[in-house]
Amino acid sequence: MSGPVRPYVITGGRSRSTRTELAVESLVSALPGPPQLPEHDLLNREHRRILGLCHSLLSIAEVAAHLGLPLGVVKVLVGDLWDLGAVQVLPPVPQAERLPATLLEEVLVGLRQLR
Amino acid sequence: MASANSAEAPAEAPGAAGSAAGPQYLPSSVQGAVKILVTGPFGVGKTTLVGSLSEITPLRTEETMTAASSGVDDLTGRGDKTTTTVALDFGRITLNSRLALYLFGTPGQQRFWPLWDDLSRGALGAIAMVDLRRPDESFDVLGRLEEQRIPFAVAVNTFPDTPSYPEEELRSALDLLPDVPILFCDARDRRQSYDLLIDFVDHLHRNSILELQG
Repeated sequence: MSGPVRPYVITGGRSRSTRTELAVESLVSALPGPPQLPEHDLLNREHRRILGLCHSLLSIAEVAAHLGLPLGVVKVLVGDLWDLGAVQVLPPVPQAERLPATLLEEVLVGLRQLR
Repeated sequence: MASANSAEAPAEAPGAAGSAAGPQYLPSSVQGAVKILVTGPFGVGKTTLVGSLSEITPLRTEETMTAASSGVDDLTGRGDKTTTTVALDFGRITLNSRLALYLFGTPGQQRFWPLWDDLSRGALGAIAMVDLRRPDESFDVLGRLEEQRIPFAVAVNTFPDTPSYPEEELRSALDLLPDVPILFCDARDRRQSYDLLIDFVDHLHRNSILELQG
């Protein structure tokens, strides 16, 4: 996992993201251009690793797997980066705002084409 | 895949995860993702099924879970709180240029339930895998899915020595409601795994249309 540092040291003791809409399947990508100073000083090593990894779209779960960090830690750190405007986050497809039947049909059509 | 049926692969391949190949990014046109849980007891074939369906090599991630110490066998914490690390294997299917589907292998045992609230939120549904050679190990998870009102189907993983029963007998043995589909699949086989997933989503789709019609 993350070496000798206990996971929640990385997040400053926080075990939950303030961003409750973040889920394991939320998609993250770094926004182009370096984060604006002085916010840059607020980023720790793991924040920077996430920015380095997410130059294109990956889910929170994939970020956690590739960086060897627990899911909860990645949610907290991505929440920080989101607050700083350093990443774009596509929250899970909001099922309440679309007819579930339409969404399920889209999933079904996609799977049948891949079969 | 020709080798899928002949391989004597362990039901849950512990070394399947890893990022040796580097991340495989989603197309930038993707607008969002949905998820389906794959659950069941240890060794039932969750990782095998996820691997048969996934376009990426299944990845493993870990979540730490704080729980009361009773009944927990993986102790890494200190003091009166116990921290358990739970491994989750998952895969991905890019359905079209806009939408991706994630498949999360989720341990079904009662001691992992604290994780479920978070993982199941927003899930389209769950596939509950059952090994008919030891069906009692699935009772916990089937009860939990019913309690949480997560739409689910039972997927019998057909190992070579899986006994066969008439569906009614199976439904009664597993104490399933009539509207829970019982599906069969050799999780090592990509085609059968896709058919299973398609049948499940088709079931969800038909139910959602029925609900719309009231």
